[in-house]
This record gives sequence, C-alpha cells and structure tokens, in this order.
Amino acid sequence: MIEVKQVSKRFGDFTAVRDVSFRVEAGEVYGLLGENGAGKTTTMRMMATILQPTTGDIEISGFSVQRDPVEVRRRIGILFGGDVGLYNRLTARENIAYFGSLYGLEQARLQERIDSLSRMLDMEEFIDRRVGSFSRGMKQKVAIARTLVHDPDVVLLDEPTTGLDVTAANNFRRMVARMQEEGKTILFSSHNMGEINKLCKRVALIHKGSMRFAGTLESMREQYGIHDLDDIFMAVVEGSEN
Amino acid sequence: MGRRVIWTVFQKELLDLFRDRKTLLGTFLVPLVIIPFVFFLLGMSYSNVEKEARAYVPIAIHGTSGLTAALEKIPGARILQPENAEQALQGGMLRAIVTIPSGFDETIAAGRTGALTVAYDSTNQKSVYARDVIEQTVKAYSQEIVAQRLQHAGLSPKAIEPIASTYQNVATEERLSGGMLAGIIPLMLVVSLASGGVAAANDLVAGEKERGTLESLMTAPIAANHILTAKLLAVMVMSTMSALASLVSVSLVLSFGPLDTEGAGFSLGFFSPATLLVLVLTILLLAAMFAGLELVLSTIAKSFKEGQTYMSGIIFVAMVPSYMLMPLNPVDIPFLYYVLPVFNGVALCKEVFYGRVDPVHGLVGLGTSLLYVVVIIAWSSRLFRREGAVVKN
Repeated sequence: MIEVKQVSKRFGDFTAVRDVSFRVEAGEVYGLLGENGAGKTTTMRMMATILQPTTGDIEISGFSVQRDPVEVRRRIGILFGGDVGLYNRLTARENIAYFGSLYGLEQARLQERIDSLSRMLDMEEFIDRRVGSFSRGMKQKVAIARTLVHDPDVVLLDEPTTGLDVTAANNFRRMVARMQEEGKTILFSSHNMGEINKLCKRVALIHKGSMRFAGTLESMREQYGIHDLDDIFMAVVEGSEN
Repeated sequence: MGRRVIWTVFQKELLDLFRDRKTLLGTFLVPLVIIPFVFFLLGMSYSNVEKEARAYVPIAIHGTSGLTAALEKIPGARILQPENAEQALQGGMLRAIVTIPSGFDETIAAGRTGALTVAYDSTNQKSVYARDVIEQTVKAYSQEIVAQRLQHAGLSPKAIEPIASTYQNVATEERLSGGMLAGIIPLMLVVSLASGGVAAANDLVAGEKERGTLESLMTAPIAANHILTAKLLAVMVMSTMSALASLVSVSLVLSFGPLDTEGAGFSLGFFSPATLLVLVLTILLLAAMFAGLELVLSTIAKSFKEGQTYMSGIIFVAMVPSYMLMPLNPVDIPFLYYVLPVFNGVALCKEVFYGRVDPVHGLVGLGTSLLYVVVIIAWSSRLFRREGAVVKN
C-alpha cells in the first residue's frame, strides 16, 4: 500500500511538487499522469527515498519515507524508463544477482529467483551475455528482473515503456497485469493515455507540480464531460495555461 | 551486514573495472609501457651519444708542437684540415680546434708558459667530450714537462706536492643506489598513485550517475556510506596497483636498461623492516587521499566528461611536490614539508630510499597524512550523502 500525504518538494525557489495526496491499494495498478516535467519522477524519487519531501509524508506498507527509509527501500522495486540503469559490462545474470545480494537474498534463493524471472521474462537465451550489446527491449527485461528480484510488495514504474517497440510494450503491460494478480501495489507513471486506459482503474493527474485530479477514470470522464482521455489531458493542460 | 554490503559492492566494482579497457589503459599503460619506454629511449640516446663521442673525435690542429703527437694518440682522434675550421666546428664536422702559436715549443723550452687555445662548442655534447679528452692530454703533457724542469733543477716531483689527500665516500652502495632512486621513484610513485585511480573514480561515481545505475543502486536498502567505502577501496586498489606496477617497471629498467647508474648497481639493500613499513603506510595513505579526492571530484561532476576535466588537476597536485623535492637530500627538506599534504608522502619516500627514516619525521608525516585522509573521506561522504547527489539531472 502507498499513501501520499500532502507532499510538497521544493528545490530552492522552484516548487517541483505541491501538496500532492493519493493512496494506492494492494492489488491495484494506479496511474500517475502528467507531462514531462510535471513532477511524476520527483514524486517517485521521494517514494524511493532518493529525495526527501519538503513537507508532508509518504508511507509505503506503513513505513514512512522520512523515518524508516531503509524499511521502505526493502519493500519497493523501482523501474525508471529511458535510462534503465544497468551495468553494461556485466552479464544479465550478474546485474540481477548484484541487486539480489544487496537486498540480502541468500545464494540459493537468489538463484531460484533469477531462474524463475528468466523463464517468466523469456531471457534464458541471453541471461549469461553482457548487457552492453542488448537491444532496448532486452535491456528492459533485465531491468524488470532486477526490479523484482527481491519480490517487492510495492512496484514503482516510471514511464517504463519509453523506447520499447509495440510488441515489447504489450508484453510489458501483460507482465504488469500479472503482478497485479499477485497482489502487488503498482504505481504506473505515463503520459500515454491509451496505456493508462488499458491498465488502470484509478489515476492521479499532476500538472506543473500540482494535483488536478485523483479518482477513477469514469469519474474523470464525468467531471470533464469528455470521453477521450487524451482530450481530457489536453483540457487540463490548456485550462491551466489560459 | 555492513561488511557484507561493502564486500559485494567492492567485488562488483573490481569486476566491472577490470572489464573496462579504458580504465585498464588508464591504470596500467603509463607505468608498464610509457615509463619503461621513456627511460629506455633516454638511456639509449645518452649511451649512443657517448659511444659516438668516444669512437670518433675529429679535431683540427693549427701549428706544430711536440704536443701534436700526444693529441694524435687520443683514442678515436682524427686530425682533419678543413678549409674553414670554425665553420666546421659550428656545423659539428669538427669537435675542437687546437691552436698552437708559433714558437710554442721554444717558449716552453725556455722555461716560460706556452699559450694554447682550444675552441669547442658547449652546446654540443660530443664537442664537450672532445674538449675533456684534449684537456686530459694537455695536462699529462704539461706534467711531463714539469717533471723534466724539476729534474733539471735537481728537485723531486714531490717538491710541488706537499700534501697528498685521499677522499673517502661514506655513502654505502645501498645509499648511493637509494640516493639515485630517491630522486626518481617518489616522483613515479606519487604520480602513478594519483593517475592510477583517476579512470576508476570517474567511472564509479560520475560515470554511474550518467548511466543511471547509481540511482538504482541507491534505492537498495543499504547505507550510502557503505557504497562509498566500497568505491573508495576499489579506487585505492587500482591506484596502488598502478603505483606498484610503476615501481616494478622502474626497478626493471634500472636493473636491465641502458641507463648508466654511475657504478651504483640497483639493489634493495636500503630497505629495513622499519623503512619498508613506513613506505607501505605512506603508499596506502597517499592512495586513500587521492582516492578520496578523486571521488569528491567525481561526485561534484555532473557528467563523465566534466569529471575528466576536474581530474586533470589531480596530476598537478601530485607532480608539484614531487618535482620540488626531487633534487633535495632528505637532510635539506624543511620540516614544514612533513606537514603539508602530498609533500609529506614524497618526503617520507625519499627518506626510505635514502635508507634512514627520522622517527619524528615518520610520525609527523604519517600522522598528518592520516588526518588529511580522514578530512577528505568525511568531505566525500558528506557530498555523496547529499540529497540528489546521485541523480543525473
């Protein structure tokens, strides 16, 4: 479970996130919508304890990011889009194993997790090859395996389908649906409305650091009187600029 | 838990660094290839110049004298008669011109002083060598005449030599060898300690930040200080390995290379358990200090390229004290240098290679080095733990 409580983040005079609140339940894929630079990544970085909220707090499975950062990190897995954050000179297996051991997984359990993730993500063919030569889709699979190696309760996906081709993006969404069935709490940030429509029931829409909407997709459509999500998004963006 | 994390990160860093050609080149190319190559070239060119200067000594002699025969006997001497001797000397075809004035032998026979002129070119090493051998020949000829004159006057040659002095060199062969090494090795050692860790340090923070791996790493449930400690150890290993490689390569070059070591054969006899301990501690503390400083720069840098620019300054930090102390004998090193960072390490290295470490210098040098290491590591830790330090943008 994720609970964001009136969180703000300031960098000097610039307010990146202003008074944002929402709650994500276990077994739910919650959409975090917004343009590039809206404050989605900053919010996720605060959840991952890389940044500290200036005001407010975030609780992950009951642990505060400010008071129990290490407990929070034990329970989350974060996947950044764009830069997948892998070591190119290590093999896929070495990358996953490195993170597994940092999460304190015992050797036998680690091997078991790597084997099962490798099967699940169809990586067996290239698991022992160095990551540097991989395609974007292959790298993304390794990054997902690394994110899930310690079997986290809460999964933060920051624009995870950026740069993936259609097949890889579809496979990825199928994976997210499977994680949801396993009861994981998933926060999915994106500016692709079609993707959000397929995966999420509830969303929060952030624009220029402030929350413009939080609730179900149906209530969003009702509130704006528009069916198409892209049009709603544009209405919010243009509305704030006019 | 902490130790396990440090070990895991340290192992991964070394594996990663050893698979990186760029880092390996940066760490080992200078000590293992460039240093021996430069020494070899220097030695080769010196010994070639000397060999040629001895084998062929073209000189011109203007005028005649009994001295001419002695000059002709100089090994390698060729008496030439070029049209324009001065031009030939400047062009290097001649190494020296000996001008004997007319009536030279008669002046000497009359018991007076004959004036002899030797023209040479001080900018030409081979001409300087010719001047030296001519001087020796003239001196020997002059002594013969002195002996004849004394005999003529009924005196023994001892009459003009009332004191016979013998000069004894108290430096042992070890110290002679160490003295020469004390000039070169601290320079090599400190420069390779500084340069050996540069590529690794830049890759491990600025590089990781740029590739986005540092941010992923920091989301793991481990303390930032443990990550930094592992990275510091990895950089120290790379810079110490680079320093040891340069020590080995300089030792090999001095043992087998063409450099003339002036009779002081290379030996490690100046090491005692105490001086060896001081050397090991000095190397470790310098490695830690450079590693800390390099990690500070790597953390401040926003990109790998920016990191490279900052790191270029590190070499100067190492070179300035090494060059300043290179010509000094340890007894002439001011006490302040045992307190200043890097200077203290270079000064202690010199004492080690001179075979005698002053206990006060040892304590002050190592103590202040430790203090600098603590300050730099605390600074890098503070920077590394700073919010957002690991984030790319």
